[in-house]
Amino acid sequence: MGLKVPYVTNYLTEHCGDDAFATLEGYEAKGGYATARKVLRGSTPESVIELMKTSGLQGRGGAGFLTGLKWSFMPKGAEKPKYFCVNADESEPGSFKDRLLLERAPHKMLEGILIGAFAVGAAKTFIYIRGEYAEPAKQVQRAIDAAYAKGYLGKNVLGTGFSHDVVLHRGAGAYICGEETGLLESLEGKKGQPRKKPPFPAEHGAFGMPTTVNNVETFCHVPHILANGAEWFRGIGTEKSPGTTIFGVSGHVARPGLYELPLGTRLDEIVFEHAGGVPGGRKVKGVIPGGMSMPILPAGQLDVPMANEFLRERKTMLGTGGIMVMDETTCMVRASCVISYFFRDESCGQCTQCREGTGWLHKIVTRLERGAGSLDDIALIEDVCSKMEGQTICAFSDAAVWPLQGMLRHFREDFELHVRHQKCPFPESFEL
Amino acid sequence: MAQITVDGEVIEVAAGRTILQALDDAGLLMNGVDVPHYCWHPKLTIDGSCRLCQVEVEGIPKLQIACNTPVKDGMVVHTKTERVKRAREGVMELLLINHPLDCPICDQAGECKLQDYAYEYGVPHSRTKEPRRAAKKRVDLGPTIVFDQERCILCRRCVRFCREVPGTGELAVFERGDRSVIETFPGTALDNPYSMNVADICPVGALTTKDFRFKIRVWFLTDVPGVCTGCSNGCNVHLGVANNKVYRYLPRRNDAVNDTWICDAGRMSYAEIGAESRLKNAYLRNERGVLETAAYKSAIERAAARLRALLEAKGPGVIAALASPHATNEDLLTLRRLLDAAGVQNAGVAVPHWQPDALLVKAERAANAEGARALGFPDAHVVLDRVRAGGVDALLVLGHDVLDPAYLGDPAALASLDTVIVLDTHRSELERVAHVLLPVRVAAEKHGTLTNHAGRVQRVRPAVEPAFEAYAEGEVLARLGALLQLPGFDGKWDVRETSRALGTSSPAFVGVDVESVGEQGRPLATVVAGASGTGGRA
Repeated sequence: MGLKVPYVTNYLTEHCGDDAFATLEGYEAKGGYATARKVLRGSTPESVIELMKTSGLQGRGGAGFLTGLKWSFMPKGAEKPKYFCVNADESEPGSFKDRLLLERAPHKMLEGILIGAFAVGAAKTFIYIRGEYAEPAKQVQRAIDAAYAKGYLGKNVLGTGFSHDVVLHRGAGAYICGEETGLLESLEGKKGQPRKKPPFPAEHGAFGMPTTVNNVETFCHVPHILANGAEWFRGIGTEKSPGTTIFGVSGHVARPGLYELPLGTRLDEIVFEHAGGVPGGRKVKGVIPGGMSMPILPAGQLDVPMANEFLRERKTMLGTGGIMVMDETTCMVRASCVISYFFRDESCGQCTQCREGTGWLHKIVTRLERGAGSLDDIALIEDVCSKMEGQTICAFSDAAVWPLQGMLRHFREDFELHVRHQKCPFPESFEL
Repeated sequence: MAQITVDGEVIEVAAGRTILQALDDAGLLMNGVDVPHYCWHPKLTIDGSCRLCQVEVEGIPKLQIACNTPVKDGMVVHTKTERVKRAREGVMELLLINHPLDCPICDQAGECKLQDYAYEYGVPHSRTKEPRRAAKKRVDLGPTIVFDQERCILCRRCVRFCREVPGTGELAVFERGDRSVIETFPGTALDNPYSMNVADICPVGALTTKDFRFKIRVWFLTDVPGVCTGCSNGCNVHLGVANNKVYRYLPRRNDAVNDTWICDAGRMSYAEIGAESRLKNAYLRNERGVLETAAYKSAIERAAARLRALLEAKGPGVIAALASPHATNEDLLTLRRLLDAAGVQNAGVAVPHWQPDALLVKAERAANAEGARALGFPDAHVVLDRVRAGGVDALLVLGHDVLDPAYLGDPAALASLDTVIVLDTHRSELERVAHVLLPVRVAAEKHGTLTNHAGRVQRVRPAVEPAFEAYAEGEVLARLGALLQLPGFDGKWDVRETSRALGTSSPAFVGVDVESVGEQGRPLATVVAGASGTGGRA
C-alpha cells in the first residue's frame, strides 16, 4: 500500500511513497548506506563535523540550533562513553512530520545516526520514541534489527573498526519528554522533567555521559549533506536557513498533509497553493506557522517566507513546521482555551512560574470564553505571560505564553467581544 | 579563588561554587545580600525550580538563578534591580494564587518564609478570581509529621532531604503541572530516624511535627542557642523557650558538627528537661531506712558528715566516685579537684551506649563522655569491680548511668555500701540505695561546656530555671568540698572561673573555655583518644 502523503516531495521524502523503501534492501536499492560506508572508510570525524558546520543545517526539532555546532560541543577523546539521542518524541500539536520518516525512511535516519556517531565518537544511540507511536516503533525496530544483521550496526561496522549500538526506547507519554533534558530523565527511567543547566547534555547527558540530542528529521538530512556536500545543501532554502523541511499542514485546508519544501517557501504559497486553501469558500483567519507553541499569524501576514530570519520579524518562529490553519469561523478565545489547556496539562510542574502560571492562564481564558471576563482579565493575561517568559528551567513556559501573546497581538478584538457580549460571539466555531 | 562583585561589593569566593553558595560561604546570604530562595538549601542538592533567587548577571541577557549559576572571576551580579524585583514579585504572586492563605490557623505563621517573603518581596494584593486548588489537609505522613498539601509550594526540599540525607526516599512529587502533589509512595509512611527535619526545612506550614504543632505560637518563643545532650555528637540546637519551658529543639547550623540536622530522638530529648521524672527534692534516708525529703542544705551537710566520718576513720581509699557523662566540663573539673583534694583515687565514668548510625547518632548516649575522659575519669568498670570486691564503703555518684545494663543494671550491688551519695537530674532506681539524694541541673539550666565525641568543646547556657531547688553539680561539689574543709574549696563556685581553669588542669583544654568557644564550639587542643564508637563492657 503506497502512501499518498506527502503531496510534495524532495530529497528527504523521495521514495517515501514506496513501501519497500522502509526495508533495508529497498533502501540499499536506492543507494542507501553508500554514504555512511564512504564516510566511515574515508573521512575523519573532524571533517564530518566541519562539513556539517559549513552546511548550516539547523536542527529540525523546533529550536533551530545549528547541528554541526552542537556536535562540536561533544568532548573529544574517550574518557567516558559518549551517546547520541534521537528525539522521536514528536508531540508538538500540529506536528507529524517525523512520523513519516520513522515509518517510511527508518534506514535514512539510521544512516544519519551512523555518520553522526562516527563524527562525535558516540558508542551508542538511544532513539526515544513517543509511546503513542506504536507503528513507527515497530518499523524502526525492524530497521535496527536489519541493520545489525547486515553489519551496519554493532561491533566493527562494515569492517571499519568503528562500533555503534542503537537502542529503541518507547516513551511513556508526556509532551515534556520531547524537551531534550526531560527526554534524558525519562530515558533514565525517571519522571520526565527538564534538567537545570549547567551542566549541559554535552557534558552530563544520558546516564551522566556526554550526550547529543537531535531530532529525527535532522538526522535524515545528514546522509544527503555528506553525499552532496555543503554547497549543494546551501543552494536549497534561504541563505541563513538552508535545506528543505517537511511542513505538516492541518486544520481548515482542502489538502492537509505533509509538504517537503525548501525553507523560505512562503506561508501563503503553502497554505493556498499546496494545501489548497480553506474549503467551502471561507476565508483564512489565522495560521500557526510552526506547531502550537509558536505565535499565530493573521490572514494579512501570510506573505512570509518560512524561515526563522523572516518569521522572527513577525514575532513568531518556524518551530517544527507544523502549520495549523484556522478559518473565519474560528473563535480565537476558544482556540486559546485549547492551547492553554494543553500547556496546563503538560507542564511538568517544577518551576513556579510554569506550574502555577499555566493553570492560571487557562482559568482566565476559560472565564473569558464563558463570557464572565472583563477587560482587566485581558491585561492580566498579558501581565502573567510576561512573568512566565524567559525565567524557567526549560522553554516550556515560553512555549505556553507565546501563542497567547500572539493571539492577543492579532486577535485582541475576539477577546474584547467576549467581554462586551458577555458570551462567545462565534456560534459557528469548533466546540470545546 | 575568584572575585565577584555583588551589588558593588567585591567578594572573594572559592572557584566552582554557585552565586548563592558563594554568598552563603561568605556569610552574606540574607545577611547583607538578600537573595530570597525556597528550593535551595545549603545541605541539599540544587534543584533550581522555585526561581525566586533570580539575579542579574552582567553580560547574560536573561535573569539567572543564583543557586545554579557558577561564579566566574570578574562576574558582576546585581540583586536589587527593577528586573529582579519584578521577577520576585511574579514568583511570589504565582506561589500565592493557590495557597490557602490560612495564616491565622497555620502553625508556621511567624516563621513562615512564604509569609516573610510575600511581605518583603511580593505584591500586597491578589488578582485571582478563581477558586484555589483544593488538596488534602492533615495528611498523616507517618509517626512524626502531618502534611497540608494545600499549603505546599513544591520546593521539594523534603523530597530531596529524604533521598539525600537519611537515604530513605519516602517522598516524591506525584502528578504534574498545577496538580503536582507531594506524597509518600503508596502503602509507605514517612518514617526514618531523621524524619522531623522535613518540618524544619519546609519553608511553609505544609509539614509540621505532631509533637510541636499547636503547642504555642512561635512568636512567643525565645531561641536560646544550646547543644542536644542525647548523644556524644552534640548537635547544635536552638531551644525554643517560653514561660520558663522548653517547647522544642530546632537544629542550629554547625557545619563541623551536624550541618543543619538533628535526629528525631535527639530532637525529642528536649522533653527530658521539663519531665515529670526530674529529681525535684533533696532526700535523706532516715534511721528507719526510709527516704524522706530534706532541705537542700541539710542534705549536703549530711553528705559531708558521712564522707568526713569515713575519711577520718578509714581514709580516702574506701571512697569512690562516679562522674556523670552528662555533666559539663566545669562540673567535672570541680569533681576532679574535690577528689584530688580528698585523695580519692577510685573514680570513673559510666557511659551508656546505643546503636549509632552513619549520620549523626554516636554510640555514646551522653553529651560529655569525652570531657570526662579528658579530665581523667576512666571507664567505670575498674571502680565497680572494686565495689563488688567489697573495697569501697562510700560512693559519690553523679547521674545514674551506672544502672545501664552494661554496668550494674541493678542497684543491688550498691545496697551493702555504708554511704551512697547521689547527685542527679532525674529520678532513678538509685533511690533504693541512696542515703543522700541531691537534685542538680540539666545542661539547659546552666552555663558550661560539653566535649563531643570528636573533642569539640561546645557551650551551653541557661534557657530555663528549674522550678525547684537545684544547682549545677560543680556548685554542689564546691559546697561539699568546703564542708569537708578540703584545700582550695571555700564553698563558692564561679562557672567562668572554673572554665578558665580547665586549661591549667588538663593540657587538652588549653585555650578552650566557656567564653572563648563561641556559638560554634572549638576543638580540644589535644583530642583525647577516647572510647567513642566502642560498646560498653557487658
